[in-house]
Amino acid sequence: MWRLLNLLLDRLEEWIIAFLIGAATILTFIAVVHRYGASNSAFLERWAAMHGLVILAQASDRIYISLAAINLSWAQELATYMFVWMAKFGAALGVRTGIHVGVDVLVKRLSLPARRPVIVFALLCGALFTGVIGTLGGIYVHDLDPDQVSPELEWPSWIIYLCIPLGSYLMCYRFLQVMWRFLRTGSEPHQSLGLEYEAPHADTLVGEAAE
Amino acid sequence: MISLSQTDKAAAPRPLASAVTATLIVVIPIALALLCFAARLHIIELSHAVRAELLFALLIALMATGMPISIALGLSVLTYLFILSDVDPKMVGLKLFTSLDRFEIMAIPFFILAGNFLTTGGVARRMIDFATSLIGHWYGGLGLAGVIACALFAAISGSSVATVVGIGSIMLPALLQNGYPPRFGAGVIATSGALGILFPPSINLVIYAVATSGMQPHGPDGAVVDSASVGQLFMAGVVPGLMLATMLGATTWYRAWRNDYPRMQRSNWPQCWRAFRESFWGLFLIVLVLGGIYSGLFTPTEAAAVAAVYAFVIAVFVYKGLRVREVPAVLLKAASMSAMILYIITNAAVFSWLLTSEQIPQSMAGWMTAQGFGTVVFLLVTNIVLLAAGNFMDPAAIVLIMAPILFPMAATLGVNAVHLGILMVVNMEVGLCHPPVGLNLYVASGITGMGIAELTVAVLPWLATMLIFLVMVTYIPAISLWLPHILGML
Repeated sequence: MWRLLNLLLDRLEEWIIAFLIGAATILTFIAVVHRYGASNSAFLERWAAMHGLVILAQASDRIYISLAAINLSWAQELATYMFVWMAKFGAALGVRTGIHVGVDVLVKRLSLPARRPVIVFALLCGALFTGVIGTLGGIYVHDLDPDQVSPELEWPSWIIYLCIPLGSYLMCYRFLQVMWRFLRTGSEPHQSLGLEYEAPHADTLVGEAAE
Repeated sequence: MISLSQTDKAAAPRPLASAVTATLIVVIPIALALLCFAARLHIIELSHAVRAELLFALLIALMATGMPISIALGLSVLTYLFILSDVDPKMVGLKLFTSLDRFEIMAIPFFILAGNFLTTGGVARRMIDFATSLIGHWYGGLGLAGVIACALFAAISGSSVATVVGIGSIMLPALLQNGYPPRFGAGVIATSGALGILFPPSINLVIYAVATSGMQPHGPDGAVVDSASVGQLFMAGVVPGLMLATMLGATTWYRAWRNDYPRMQRSNWPQCWRAFRESFWGLFLIVLVLGGIYSGLFTPTEAAAVAAVYAFVIAVFVYKGLRVREVPAVLLKAASMSAMILYIITNAAVFSWLLTSEQIPQSMAGWMTAQGFGTVVFLLVTNIVLLAAGNFMDPAAIVLIMAPILFPMAATLGVNAVHLGILMVVNMEVGLCHPPVGLNLYVASGITGMGIAELTVAVLPWLATMLIFLVMVTYIPAISLWLPHILGML
């Protein structure tokens, strides 16, 4: 049951993140195209009218009117919020996949038994920080005026800011999960850096030395 | 660096020494936090300068445990705020949101996404074919083509790693097949790949702009100095990028000529034309991004979004190197890489906000002028510090931590913000090409199967070239400032 829930959480996390980055990209792209479509069709209309191309002028006028009728000023704001949410949840995913870069030069030079407490300490610090931030963010959201809205979308601010406590607590959970896994199975939180070619860091060097 | 990696191999970690080091790694940050606490309870009194030093000591001690840099930054700020200052810590939570709540920052995930589409989309192979058809018949032709292909690819993707992966995974096997020694091939690609963060678009230049934006330090004449915009930095990166590509190419040519490495058959004009036409869609992205930003058609963020969509279209529909069902995986990879960088950005923003509110960079700048340090000494020290930091940290993290400290000091001495940005990025390039954290080396090692120690030797000639280039960029500001100047952007 617990494993199933975890699996569900993993998949949900991945889908939300992939959706947010994709949607925000398309949204921004459409907003750019829209802006240039509108300004260029207005330009084209004037140019065509000046040269007596009545049909072209009318067509571009119609395009301009229909484009100008769509107000996309909220798009930039929504895209920004989507990215902030993506960043917060992506950071939690990053703990699980070990993408957060750290300075591991010193740790990798330690012998394996000596490395254990250091890694646990580092992971605990991570859990502590994200837990504190989650709580602070929660207090902040709680204290927000419920009627306060965002400038363009006019969505309640507290919902938008909710990503701080949610993202941070999820990250805290991930740190504890990684630590639990490390204590039980000894599988180190690796640093893959998102490359096809997994960066082994100083692993290989120290590994050879340890033998 | 070579000696370091060799001692790595020679000295097996002794259990006792390891245990002592491990204890120290854990105990020192706790002791520093307790020291802060003692100051809070007025058991000991700390002067302002000592508090600032305590903040940096805590940051370094936390980073030494190997925890993520972002967490180390955040935790040291939190400790400082809770214990040593009267700022409301609740502000930190808000700051973590508002520091990302800016449209300019979104250029970073967009460029990362574009880069990920391009590495998987068959763009790299066509660029390599085009470069080979142009200069393959010279000495070391395929190696030179590698440099050019890296430069071209760097001009459409914003990161070094994307460039090394994109070009290297095709170019390195080709070099070996054509009879070049592995060391030569790996050396060329690992170093030329670093062009990725100098040629615009560059994620690291965006990060520099983000890290310094909104700061208003005072110049030598007391006037407020503006920080550099992404557009200015991008234009400033063009000339240094071309110069470095030329210098790396010259090194490649010289070594190939001296060792008489194989040359390719000369391609005729129809072949060149066909290779150009094939790679046209990829090359057009350079025009789209740079032209768009320069002409004012797009802001850098919009250009990045357009680049991401464009890269998606050519990868999936034009070159068909990527299948539609593979797209979610690319999105996820780009998202988690962006999230990692954005998370460092948020925490570094809180860190630099603390530095600014405690007036730390200003007092460092004041101390520097009081010592009578000139521009020459400042730039020298800057280079040394950045190169040293490149031994431990990821480039994005270094820029985020150091830029807010260096920028006010540079402004006091009259060093241009754009010049400082280019200088920092060139330093990061050098750091990418030598161990222990030189990412390019690890990527090249993954492709060739060569060990890091061997790669370190392999890149030496090109690394030396880069260091010469670094000195030139440092002391000849015109290299960075000439182009934005004549374009009227400065």
